[in-house]
Amino acid sequence: MTRAIETISALLLFSSLYLAAFLGLIPFPAKVQEEIIPVLPFWALVSFGAYLLFSLGWGIFTFNDTEAAYHELVTEIQQAKKELRVKGVDVD
Amino acid sequence: MAPIPKDKYSVILPTYNERKNLPVITWLLEKTFTEHKLDWELIIVDDGSPDGTQEVAKQLITAYGPNRIVLKPRAGKLGLGTAYVHGLQFVTGNFVIIMDADFSHHPKFIAEFIAKQKTKNYDIVTGTRYAGDGGVYGWDFKRKLVSRGANLLASVVLRPNVSDLTGSFRLYKKHVLEKVIQTTESKGYTFQMEMMVRARALGYSVAEVPISFVDRIYGDSKLGGDEIVEYAKGVFNLWLKV
Repeated sequence: MTRAIETISALLLFSSLYLAAFLGLIPFPAKVQEEIIPVLPFWALVSFGAYLLFSLGWGIFTFNDTEAAYHELVTEIQQAKKELRVKGVDVD
Repeated sequence: MAPIPKDKYSVILPTYNERKNLPVITWLLEKTFTEHKLDWELIIVDDGSPDGTQEVAKQLITAYGPNRIVLKPRAGKLGLGTAYVHGLQFVTGNFVIIMDADFSHHPKFIAEFIAKQKTKNYDIVTGTRYAGDGGVYGWDFKRKLVSRGANLLASVVLRPNVSDLTGSFRLYKKHVLEKVIQTTESKGYTFQMEMMVRARALGYSVAEVPISFVDRIYGDSKLGGDEIVEYAKGVFNLWLKV
């Protein structure tokens, strides 16, 4: 099953369940039926968007800067060039 | 008792105009493998670089020996995927490492990849910039935003259970790489991503090791609107196909 089929199947399942609830085929208390079920899709959409934005922000915030790795590399490159010249390899 | 066959690690390094980088990356590879007492070879697949990469490669063969350095050039720029297919024909090791030649991938991490691979006999070990002590050097906010955004898109759409889908610093069992590369169709930006997604779909086990990614010391890496669109198309295609 490809990811597309997986995603579409899940969406179809949820939307039919939601439709059943929306049309009153599943018994809910009146308050739930009138005030929660109609806004559920918007709530889900906004929550998903908020989750994505948070993940993105958190990802950037916790993205490490590896300054030390750079300095280590520069030192190693200089040492490498010295030894390579001795071995008869052309380096700048 | 028959002797236990020893592991050998073959690095396939596709190059195009890497005259400056190739000797130093070779030196770093030799240092890492010697320090950890590992058997290794470097297979250089050069796509007809006009800058003399192949002359330098020949000097390296003289310096390190033909059992360590193997030069298998191709006529022209034929792309990354086919470079690995080409290189694979000449691999004598049972593990293959793929990496970039521009110092963004430090060979010292190969030792960590190998140690990780041995813990649970993983089929693939991939470097990640996004987890643990991993990270990057030389990226501004915009670059981090694009990179993180691209990775988030792919994670949500493809659910690969890997934190760094577009990384190209990986260790494969040889037969696993052969199998995965056979089924991979895309080129360019989405190639590495497709390899990982296909490997997952084929049921191979994947482990991650945090790496520090030092962005190109020489030359610049390009990332514009066109690349972003290509990438999004690639993610969508994989969503449909895999």
